[in-house]
Amino acid sequence: MTALKLTLAGALLAVSALVSAEEAVLKVSAIPDEAPTELQRKFAPLGAYLEKELGMKVQFVPVTDYAAVVTALTSDKIDMAWLGGFTFVQASQRGKVVPLVQREEDSKFTSKYIANAEAGINSLKDLKGKNFAFGSASSTSGHLMPRYFLQKQGIKPESFFKNVAYSGAHDATVAWVASGKVEGGVLNASVWDKLVEAGKIDPAKVKLIGTTPAYYDYNWTVRGNLDAKLQQKITKAFLKLDPKNPEQQAILELQRASKFIPTKAANYKGIEAAAKEAGLLK
Amino acid sequence: MLNHPSDPALLPRLLWSGLLLLLLAPTLPLTGFNPLALFDGATLKTLAGFVAGFLPPASDAIFLGEVIRSTVTTLAVATAGLALAMLVGMPLAFATTRALDRHALTGASASRWAEAGKSLLRGLMVLLRGVPEIVWALLFVRAAGLGSLPAVLALGLAYGGMLGKVYAEILESQPRGMARALRAAGAGRWQVCGYALLPQALPELVSYTVYRWECAIRASAVMGFVGAGGIGQLLDTSIKMMNGGEVSTLLLVFLLMVLATEGISRLSRRLLESRRGGATLAAAGMLVPLASLAWLLPAWREAGFDSGSLLRFAGEFLPPDASPALLADIGRGALETLAMALLGTALAFAGAALLALPASGRVGRVLKGLARLLLNLLRGIPDLLWAALAVLAVGLGPAAGVLALALHTSGVLGRLFAETLENAPPAPEQALRALGAGRLRAFCYGLLPEVWAQWLAYALYRGENNIRAAAVLGIVGAGGLGQQLYLALSLFQLPTAASLILAMLLLSWLLEQLSRLLRQRLEAAVGQMA
Repeated sequence: MTALKLTLAGALLAVSALVSAEEAVLKVSAIPDEAPTELQRKFAPLGAYLEKELGMKVQFVPVTDYAAVVTALTSDKIDMAWLGGFTFVQASQRGKVVPLVQREEDSKFTSKYIANAEAGINSLKDLKGKNFAFGSASSTSGHLMPRYFLQKQGIKPESFFKNVAYSGAHDATVAWVASGKVEGGVLNASVWDKLVEAGKIDPAKVKLIGTTPAYYDYNWTVRGNLDAKLQQKITKAFLKLDPKNPEQQAILELQRASKFIPTKAANYKGIEAAAKEAGLLK
Repeated sequence: MLNHPSDPALLPRLLWSGLLLLLLAPTLPLTGFNPLALFDGATLKTLAGFVAGFLPPASDAIFLGEVIRSTVTTLAVATAGLALAMLVGMPLAFATTRALDRHALTGASASRWAEAGKSLLRGLMVLLRGVPEIVWALLFVRAAGLGSLPAVLALGLAYGGMLGKVYAEILESQPRGMARALRAAGAGRWQVCGYALLPQALPELVSYTVYRWECAIRASAVMGFVGAGGIGQLLDTSIKMMNGGEVSTLLLVFLLMVLATEGISRLSRRLLESRRGGATLAAAGMLVPLASLAWLLPAWREAGFDSGSLLRFAGEFLPPDASPALLADIGRGALETLAMALLGTALAFAGAALLALPASGRVGRVLKGLARLLLNLLRGIPDLLWAALAVLAVGLGPAAGVLALALHTSGVLGRLFAETLENAPPAPEQALRALGAGRLRAFCYGLLPEVWAQWLAYALYRGENNIRAAAVLGIVGAGGLGQQLYLALSLFQLPTAASLILAMLLLSWLLEQLSRLLRQRLEAAVGQMA
């Protein structure tokens, strides 16, 4: 019975210790739309820059799925996150969050439809009765917006395609299409361009068959109860990033941004409507 | 040929086999399982590249450091989770066991209110253990964020329900004499339990708890797949990134961990036999959970815990979504789940039978050793882990689930089949051989009938388990209800998730009833034959 009492006491101690949490660290995360190592590589110089500008420690918290980032931000486990349009809408439904900045490119974002080059597919229509891959189910550019635009064209994915699968991330979608596992797929235009520039797309295996209309996507969002002064400082630090400064240009390059611009929640009303229409939001 | 049928029971045998194939036929389109797809060029190339990457196993210092930390976390989560499960299970068992019922001990009539209360608690335990621990983990990860705390809570609840039930049953299975005597002398519920029942039941209680600890370690290792930390989370990342070297290191560490736990579990059962050993075990039972808490605590403190948001989250599940469109979806998911389990178990039965022959030592020592090794490997890797690997081989969807269940269950059944072969009386087979029958015929008509009923019973039991497993494999992308649940929870469609969980519970309950019925029939049939 002593064992029982000791364990009980330990557990109580544990719970009481959990209640207090206040630290001078800015905890930052990002939706895992690419491989985790790629996310860390992209964030490292930006994190160092923010540490210098804000005068506080900045810690990157790696997270394995989209929804977990939403939960973490709305339950104050992290202070700031790089969200997609859809995850931002989910987060603002589940708690108070404030969008600070976005890349200039995010105000006119697109997705790219791709197909396996050997499958004899030249347009979306040719994908009828074939296998198709979205990215993560919670992705804006890899799922929500393409689904929305497909439906506008009268294509209901579940009946139009033979099989609808979720690869989990944009780079994974490309790998699937290249391997022939699925005949077609859709991904974020920015990741597509990056892979093309890096020579990671074999034109003999994957080809581009279409582009969606433009929409608002990614932003940097903080939890609503983060100190207002700190919010301003973060915004300023992002807006100050100057492409003419070589060191800062490297940061922008990694973020695939020409520059950062302020953003507001109203920019994402369109995404919210699309999510409702696509049946992903109730 | 017709005048001298080599098998008098040929017709019924063919009929039964045909019937079974007819039953299995629809599972192929339902699961999209295509054995040929495994050998298709593109798949083989992806797979070959991935498997080739297994060698050499990753061994750089940073990664190994991460692996060691994660392994300790996995062990600590399992231990702390089991400790929590005991805190949940012990009071439940004490409150609900029939061994302490006044009317059972003294013959007085039962109080209606007490009985109703007990039924309520028993229902609670059914609910706790009916929801698989990986689903609990997913729920807590969604509600409370990432990290090891959701895993501990998940184990605590799911295993708490299990321990409560089994502890109560162990107490009920003890001889009642001493309890009756104490009760007659005026002892209360606590005293009867503490002085009459517990001392009798203690070895059995401890031994079951240690067995559960072993299971908890395997469960804790796969919980990382839903973001609950530990070695599973590392595996998830490495598999997603198709980093074969890391995957092989992690699989090796995982197998070593499972082997080590089995060793510790055996050792503790031996310790239980002596008074000194018992004391050592009791001390370890106190220190290890505390050490686990100490290991986990810093991370928990950093992550924080907010019971208010947990309650709000729970509230969002109500009311469950009952729209016709969703019900149709659930029906499809349930069908897919059943098909996965059926086909997976059937394939496993064939695989197990094939492996059991060499594993029982019928074709030489070397093959026996090799077959046993293979069986241990198949069995040692949990089905969820196989599913995560199978998703790579055959893509997302129920086909991966079929493959995963077939592989893991082959290992489980193969070992059991080999044991029945070894234990079967050799006389009939030897007699047939002596009469000049060939090896195959002697086996089919001398040995197989001896073990057949036992094999079927094992397969039936595993089939039941597999339906429960199939329902959650989708969490790592292998189709069925689990995939729908993962999607619903990812999109924060909580009422939908609630309906899916209810469907899982219902499926598992229906199955238990069906399997009980079948097993009774089977036992009756075996009884008639004997």
